Amino acid sequence: MAKKEFSFNEAVKEIEKILGNIESGILDVDKLSIEVKKAAGLIRQCQKKLRSTEEEINSIFKDLV
Amino acid sequence: MTEKLSLTELQLLIRDSLYIALPDMYWVIAEISEIKENYAGHCYLELVEKHPDEKNVRARVKAIIWSKRYRFLKSFFENITGESLRQGMKILVRTKVEYHELYGLSLIISDIDPSFTLGEMAIKRQLIIKRLEDDGVITMNKELDFPLVPQKIAIVSSKSAAGYSDFLSHLTNNNYGYIFYTLLFETAMQGTDTEISVINTLNKIAQFAGLFDVVVIIRGGGSLTDLSWFDNYNIAYHVTQFPLPVITGIGHEKDLSVTDIVAYQSLKTPTAVADYLINCIANTENHLNEISSGIIESSRKILEENRNRIETSRLKIIPVARLMISDIKEQLSGLLIEMINTGKEIMGKAALIPSYLKSGLISETKSILEKNNSSFKQKKYNLASYTANYLTLNNNKINGLENSLKILSPGNVLKRGYTITSLNGRIIKSSGLIKTDDIIDTTFSDGKIKSKVIKNKNL
Repeated sequence: MAKKEFSFNEAVKEIEKILGNIESGILDVDKLSIEVKKAAGLIRQCQKKLRSTEEEINSIFKDLV
Repeated sequence: MTEKLSLTELQLLIRDSLYIALPDMYWVIAEISEIKENYAGHCYLELVEKHPDEKNVRARVKAIIWSKRYRFLKSFFENITGESLRQGMKILVRTKVEYHELYGLSLIISDIDPSFTLGEMAIKRQLIIKRLEDDGVITMNKELDFPLVPQKIAIVSSKSAAGYSDFLSHLTNNNYGYIFYTLLFETAMQGTDTEISVINTLNKIAQFAGLFDVVVIIRGGGSLTDLSWFDNYNIAYHVTQFPLPVITGIGHEKDLSVTDIVAYQSLKTPTAVADYLINCIANTENHLNEISSGIIESSRKILEENRNRIETSRLKIIPVARLMISDIKEQLSGLLIEMINTGKEIMGKAALIPSYLKSGLISETKSILEKNNSSFKQKKYNLASYTANYLTLNNNKINGLENSLKILSPGNVLKRGYTITSLNGRIIKSSGLIKTDDIIDTTFSDGKIKSKVIKNKNL
């Protein structure tokens, strides 16, 4: 099965949603922990996308020329 | 039979007649249909006047600007219009009609009025803008959603174009360490091929639109740029219809071409385009950092509340538990006294009971008492250890969460080279909040410095 491509826009939306949930105060400590871990993971993925090269894109571009 | 003339004689006759008939200099409006400069620096033109339908030519003539005059007029014209004389351009020139027995009739140009050409270009541009407005397409590219991270960039330019390599190096050497993926689509950026070349390139990129985030049309500035190649209805129309945001940087200080006007964003130079793309990503990353801070702050608040609640519970549990323990103790000792009394009573009443039964009764009673005592001790122990476990468990959860939060902390962001600027203890997010002579604090990952603002360019 093909891996679902990481979408920056969707990740940011998800992180914004997590912040909203935390700020609303509806989460207990267990759920808070899960959500914070999820947010941290998404933020790390976003940072990675900005600074690490995806060779796949380079090779697709080469093929286009 | 009339007098016979040699061809030269006829030509000279024409020349002299023309000289007498057209002795003055004339200001003439015409369109350049051909222009070339020869090895000696003379400029040879073909001027035409077209029918209003813009297709058929109704008048045509050769014209010359001699090299000495041309050197001056060329730079004068270019300085004022920002354009070089070129095919298709409408000009107003001061001419003298000359006839040469060998080369025939030509107009000798001695002056040119750049403001006429400027006006003509402005009128042409206005007509194109009006047409795009009437088509209802002029703002279409601006209405597209701009990607949060414009990393995959299709470049419409030419390898040889000044500014292309500036753009690339500016982009790849950005201070933030952002990765960009670029692909150049070789395109003519000036000359008569510009229109068809740009349109072909845009069509090609459109086929692969899914692979790119944005399209940039860039060309170096230099001293002179022929912006009017981009005052073109067809190029502008294709930009309005493009499925991705188009950013232009076609190097013109004074004016915007129609292509600039319809683009999602127009900037003066290719490096400005690179800066724009870098800043878009930096803004997104800032937004992410702000959300991170928000998550940290809100989570800390929740943790603090939980800690307080645990502490309150602990303080409440202690006296209640003590009370329970002393209640049980009291009950037990009451029970003990009652048992002893009852035992004594029974024993007194049953003096005749054999001694082995007596001793059995005593040991049985003792063992019941011991059992009760140890179960009490166990209960006491259980209560204490359960409370302790509950408190430790909650503390562990909170500590675990704090570790997750550390990943989000600004300290990690600082280690990558960001700094936090603050003024009077408040974090500053916009340069507009800082004035000259302000003392600002800059926080690095490994320390702080104070600096005085010498100049704020934004003010």
